[in-house]
Amino acid sequence: MDWLEQELKHALERKEPPPGFAARVAAAAAGGAVQARRPVRMLPRWLPAAAAVLLIAGGGAAYREHQGRVAKDRVMLAMRITAGKLNHIQSHMREAKP
Amino acid sequence: MKTIGTVLLVVALAWPLPAQQFKFNLEHLEAKASDVVDISLNGSTLQFAAKFLDGKDPDEAQVKKLINGLEGIYVKTYSFKSEGAYSAADLEGIRNQLRAPEWSRIVRFKSAEDGETAEVFVRNEDKKISGVAIIAAAPKELTVVNIAGPVDLESLSNLSGHFGLPKLETAPPARPKKLD
Repeated sequence: MDWLEQELKHALERKEPPPGFAARVAAAAAGGAVQARRPVRMLPRWLPAAAAVLLIAGGGAAYREHQGRVAKDRVMLAMRITAGKLNHIQSHMREAKP
Repeated sequence: MKTIGTVLLVVALAWPLPAQQFKFNLEHLEAKASDVVDISLNGSTLQFAAKFLDGKDPDEAQVKKLINGLEGIYVKTYSFKSEGAYSAADLEGIRNQLRAPEWSRIVRFKSAEDGETAEVFVRNEDKKISGVAIIAAAPKELTVVNIAGPVDLESLSNLSGHFGLPKLETAPPARPKKLD
């Protein structure tokens, strides 16, 4: 038997549980110990829902802002074309005046 | 079948009519055009866009003032690579809709040199201007504009001087009086 075999045998040999082990296991199974091991602070259940609402509202506002900018750009382009044409007409009318 | 027809008729009648005051009927030119600008803005879109116009910017402030209360702005511009892409009948089809007593032409100019024509019409309703139409035709470009709703012509003419356009005076400035 070499040293490794001896080490393994020693590590895996049957050991008697410490006194009171069975009682502690029984108590844990009854629930007392399980509750004690729960995390100290749990996240509120409403938090994910609130985060989702905020995300949707934020996304909606950003989308609305984008739509507004697009509408504004289109209005400005329409007015730029109209102004350009009117300016052209006005300048021709001025030139035509005696 | 008759029921479906009745339902369709009711839906068609109940459907809100577009604020555009006349039909452009120029869709057939899109295939010939090298560039097309097609802008259709109804009243609610204009009022929504107005919230995003900056009152401190001179151009945007002028536009904000002009679009207040408008029912729509409709612009179509076609640019062509060669002349003769549109016909006189295309223009006549628009002009035929802009007739008295509803519409009256206030400006018309024709440049034989450039081959350009431009016309401005106003729509009168209860002695108030309720719309403006512009038809500007150049050999390689055609633009039709309809501004629907109560238009302030002074604000419209004041657009010159904005968008980088030179300010055109409507009347020559008065000479200063000589003091005795």
